[in-house]
Amino acid sequence: MSDLQTKKPQWWKSKDVKVTAGLWVVLSALIAYIGGEVNSRPMGEAASETMANTIHIMKLFTWVSAPVAGLVAAIAVKALMQKMHFGDNPPAEADHQIADSPKATAVWVIVSALLCLFALVFGMVVFQRDNNTLLDVHAADINVTGQQWAWNFDYADSGNFQSADLYLPVNKPVHFHVTSLDVVHSFWIVQMGIKVDANPGYITETAVTPTKIGVYDLRCAELCGLLHAYMQKKVHVVSQQDYNNWVTSHGGTI
Amino acid sequence: MNKRILGAFLTVALGAGTIAGIGSYVASAKNDSRVLAATPAGTLETPEGTLPHYTLEMSVYPDSMFGGHGKDGGPHPDYVSYGPVTNFTVPAHSAVTITVHQYDSGETITNPFFAKAHGTMDGTITVNGQKVTQIAPDTVGHTFTLHGLANGQDQLFVSVPLQYVPEEDMPEEGYSATPSVTTFTFITGDEGEYIWNCEFPCGDGSYARFGAAMSTMGYMSGHFNVVKA
Repeated sequence: MSDLQTKKPQWWKSKDVKVTAGLWVVLSALIAYIGGEVNSRPMGEAASETMANTIHIMKLFTWVSAPVAGLVAAIAVKALMQKMHFGDNPPAEADHQIADSPKATAVWVIVSALLCLFALVFGMVVFQRDNNTLLDVHAADINVTGQQWAWNFDYADSGNFQSADLYLPVNKPVHFHVTSLDVVHSFWIVQMGIKVDANPGYITETAVTPTKIGVYDLRCAELCGLLHAYMQKKVHVVSQQDYNNWVTSHGGTI
Repeated sequence: MNKRILGAFLTVALGAGTIAGIGSYVASAKNDSRVLAATPAGTLETPEGTLPHYTLEMSVYPDSMFGGHGKDGGPHPDYVSYGPVTNFTVPAHSAVTITVHQYDSGETITNPFFAKAHGTMDGTITVNGQKVTQIAPDTVGHTFTLHGLANGQDQLFVSVPLQYVPEEDMPEEGYSATPSVTTFTFITGDEGEYIWNCEFPCGDGSYARFGAAMSTMGYMSGHFNVVKA
């Protein structure tokens, strides 16, 4: 046998592979930075541990998955750059260099599956930790009612008084019991990272512990009709003393 | 020009034109362009001091035959409707007194929260001459509920129940000679864009009765803009 017949091609030395690898690194870094860092800025500053966890996990997943997206993008860009053909007389179909590689396919499937499994397990652990607040017997109970296109709140632990305003004491767990009187709405406190559907005839539950004093956004996250865009409120997180004052000024009891 | 480039250009232009056309149609169809500005009425003593005072008058009708929707009630003559218009402007940092003549019947409201007055001066409303903070939930005809975006603008929330006209006082034709009259005053903040709607489900024939008149601009909802005084 000649040397030519026995020598395996060193594919990693080919120019195509080197260019693709370079593109992979650059595109992965870009995707990770834009997806993980830039994209999380509009989410605002976390006002609860739940939101801090959400932002952290979103960034982590983005960084972990960026190389996968980066590789797909790199191959696509390289192929588009190299295989584009202008004008008449395109190359025959047989000239296309399509190779089958069971090894590459296996690596691709296994790595993707492991990444998905990692995301699933990690996400479930974080969600479970957040849901522990639902079991906290010291949590304040607030009933939330949505209807087109307004929210109102029933402070069940504070004399059952009602208000159109949502005030929460800082560093105290709050347990929301959410329902709707008409169509499906979604109760979403943006900077606290909690969102749960408000279904007519049912009570759904979510809980959170606000960790920062401030004013945050409550929005309906389910397209619910003509004035859905206006189904918003401000959420006021205040000190326990200010919360007590607000409750008593609205006829509630501490 | 290369045919492919020309084709791509025309495709993009056609797509953009279609989207612009749909947007223009929705923008023009979404709303009644008529706007009622509040009428100056001197000044008013309020908990926030003496403020410029303005008034607005509006009515709620059991159908759309009162004239505001054009001849024969417009496209939806059976829809319950506010009138004469549904878009209002009021000045910022002012006391605004609204009087609503309510000609429709009613029944028990689904959410008793909206049978109470919210956001009015002193937390009260005047219903047929009597000052109250709420009305019985089973006597609500409609509500006037004003709110807005949770952005940087002042958070204005005013909700007032409007008492019904008892069924026995509803005439076979035309409107009751004795509508319920509700008057309330609230104080505006900075300039901002708000909307108002009825929170009594009165869109008969639709799911949860929140469709039809409730989900069509110009009937039981509209814009309420607070503008520079």
